[in-house]
Amino acid sequence: MKYEVITKEDLPPFVNGLLSEIEVVGVKRKDGKFYFDRIESYDELCLDYDVTLIPPKKYLLPPNETLLKFSLGEAIQVEPFIDAAPRIILGVHPYDIKAIELMDAVFSDSNPDANYMERRRNTVIVGVDCRNPSPNAFCPSMGTATTETGFDLMLTDIGEQYVVAIGSEKGEELLKKHARTRQATEADLAQRKAVREEALAKYKLSIKAAVEEIPELLERNYDHPLWEELAAKCLSCGSCTMVCPTCVCFDVQDDVELNLTGGWRFRQWDSCMLQGFAKVATGENFREDRTSRLRHRYFRKGNYMLKRYGKLGCVGCGRCIGACLAEIASPVEAYNRLKEGS
Amino acid sequence: MREKESIYLPKLAELVRTEGLTERERLFELKLRNGDELGHQPGQFVELSIFGVGEAPLSISSSPTKKGSFEVGVRAVGNVTNALHRLEKGATVGIRGPFGNGFPLDRLKGQDVLIVAGGIGLVPLRSLVNYIEDNRQDFGRVLLLFGCRTLQEQLFVGELDHWRASKDFEYYESVDRCEDPSWKGQVGVITTLFPQFTIAPEKTYAVIVGPPVMYRFVIAECKNKGIPDDQILLSLERRMKCGVGKCGHCQINNVYVCQEGPVFTYSELKNLEEAI
Amino acid sequence: MKPRLAFFDFTGCEGCQLEVLNFEQELLDIISAADIVNFREAMTERSDDYDIAFIDGAITTERDVARIKEIRERAKILVAIGACACIGGINCLKNFYPMEEVLRIVYGESAHYYDTIPARPVDAVVPVDYYVQGCPMTQSEFVKVVKALLTGKKPEIPNYPVCVECKMAGNICVFEKGETCVGPVTRAGCNALCVTNGRTCWGCRGLVDDPNTDSEKEILAKYNLTPEEIIAKFRMFLGYSEVAK
Repeated sequence: MKYEVITKEDLPPFVNGLLSEIEVVGVKRKDGKFYFDRIESYDELCLDYDVTLIPPKKYLLPPNETLLKFSLGEAIQVEPFIDAAPRIILGVHPYDIKAIELMDAVFSDSNPDANYMERRRNTVIVGVDCRNPSPNAFCPSMGTATTETGFDLMLTDIGEQYVVAIGSEKGEELLKKHARTRQATEADLAQRKAVREEALAKYKLSIKAAVEEIPELLERNYDHPLWEELAAKCLSCGSCTMVCPTCVCFDVQDDVELNLTGGWRFRQWDSCMLQGFAKVATGENFREDRTSRLRHRYFRKGNYMLKRYGKLGCVGCGRCIGACLAEIASPVEAYNRLKEGS
Repeated sequence: MREKESIYLPKLAELVRTEGLTERERLFELKLRNGDELGHQPGQFVELSIFGVGEAPLSISSSPTKKGSFEVGVRAVGNVTNALHRLEKGATVGIRGPFGNGFPLDRLKGQDVLIVAGGIGLVPLRSLVNYIEDNRQDFGRVLLLFGCRTLQEQLFVGELDHWRASKDFEYYESVDRCEDPSWKGQVGVITTLFPQFTIAPEKTYAVIVGPPVMYRFVIAECKNKGIPDDQILLSLERRMKCGVGKCGHCQINNVYVCQEGPVFTYSELKNLEEAI
Repeated sequence: MKPRLAFFDFTGCEGCQLEVLNFEQELLDIISAADIVNFREAMTERSDDYDIAFIDGAITTERDVARIKEIRERAKILVAIGACACIGGINCLKNFYPMEEVLRIVYGESAHYYDTIPARPVDAVVPVDYYVQGCPMTQSEFVKVVKALLTGKKPEIPNYPVCVECKMAGNICVFEKGETCVGPVTRAGCNALCVTNGRTCWGCRGLVDDPNTDSEKEILAKYNLTPEEIIAKFRMFLGYSEVAK
């Protein structure tokens, strides 16, 4: 991989250069929390943050997305609808990049999803290493605290300057065109390594099992009383899945114009934690009780996705831990309970 | 990984014929507007759109040996199926698919086949029965078991008459309860038919489709008869939104019914806790 | 023939009817797709020949009971609009006092001229076909129900808590801001309107089908609400439901 260095003074002109060319979304601050939003200038951008409320998946799989448009009446006409405006997502943390790699696997698998793929192709990912992790994060346990793949560019704050890892030709071009950089030296890279290691020490949570153990740990404990115990408190509110960077399930519905001349088909985020998720029209609900829904989420993250896509469905961002009012969504606590009991 | 077109875009199809099957079910014959064959295998399903109302997964009820059109048998239970029941000949619907794996014809060929249909489970199985009838020489003995709750719920009654009389099939039927004195057939659940026949289990494949509650009991009867687990085939129903392995609704543990199914062997299912 | 719509108000502020009038483009579309034959807040002509009756307000008197039964007999489809009609709403606050005391507080010396019964939602008296929840009713859901009626489908009304839409909206959870809400057991469909605008959820859209109210109460207690405060929170809109008892 190639590495360049950009000074903090040269960063604003770089970002503003990108802004002159393409839509840029970045991390902004609101009431002590962080969120991705469209930025108009470098000044709005926050590059040192712990975690965002909603992961950047909202730009690749919008909460609500039109899939088709159709006309009604005598001759029905239907056409696909894809909104894939080019965009840079700036300041994505490594765990969220890992999650996007999993989304890529899901949406490119066997029947590629044109809406996702088109948007993904038009999205540039500029990552930033996380120096001050969220108290709920456990990325080191999941091997997602840093990443060498999945980005076009990746910034690491080494004090007065950023090391920029170049992950793609597209990234390199943008950098060349809009930034004044110099080639990184051994010393820069050593500093980058030190900064990353320093960050590792700041994580507060860790899983007592090795990441490779997790799928089997779950499999052995399918009927563990833990699931029922947690489910008793579960609100089935879907918060843990809405904020999850690897939760990609969706519902599909039609809507029509009031004058019935036409309409559109859309998908919107759905959640396996919600009561009706597995309910068919004949009335049968294949995951009617909270326990089976709650267990499905844990297994989907810690076992099923690995089997299907070769990657675990949890990247350790800890958003679910923060979002769950009932305090039952923590993979760390669940895995550790199972590990201790084994 | 570049894709050609939206996997969510249906082809337009014309409703060319509808026929009442029972009070709740109707048969719909459809033809793709572009003139293409659907190109399905028995046991596959389509996603049918009524634009403005929505999309629903429906089992294909006709055999691919029937050219030019295909049929779906549908119970009116949800928004899409109710709207479909209200449509008249000539109406336009959307079709995506065929989806799913279908019945494994390659494995069934040359073997004896025990078809077990509970209620509207006959809808997808009819695609197989008709296929076998059109390729009868490819199969060994074919036993057809059909059970439903009442006589009024019997569907495809014309074809039932045909199968009763046909030398191609050994046909057994039952109704759970019946107050009609003219009914001379079996009264009782479908498993009560099993003592009436013998099979050569090593070369028999059971193909079972029915309501979820039926599977456990019918599987037990098949195992009693000595049919190996990987020769017991079942088609499972689950909620489906996309049909193409994306939306997540049809998962049974780590398995996607729309991708790996809807037809599974019992060997594949017996270790899936959520399956049966 | 166009369906004939009628609007009837019972005990409430009539804010839900105002919400209908507040539609601009949509109202014109509705008028072109249907005939409105009865709408006291908007027109003087009245007809008792209608297909679809929209009801706002709760049932709070014996006269209300008789009147809603009569409307139900005439209407092919009956739609409850707004919290008062759908779940009883704030009218049910009075149910926790003796009815005589309620009359005395409101009407003083004239109390004997009036009758009152414990407030109840419309479906406590007659069957309701569709609901447009909310206080005031959620406009987009009203449109959704109207579209469903026009296309002959059952409207897809969320059966999941407000949290889903609150997260989609990217809101900071009110609990994180030191406040509390009943969003985790309240039916979504409002796009988390109140929280998105800096308020908290009071449950005006009613409970989801299978609410874990025990867990919600534990959470409220964990966030330092007393048992009395917790009950009071549920009584604001959900006084008719078990959770507020």
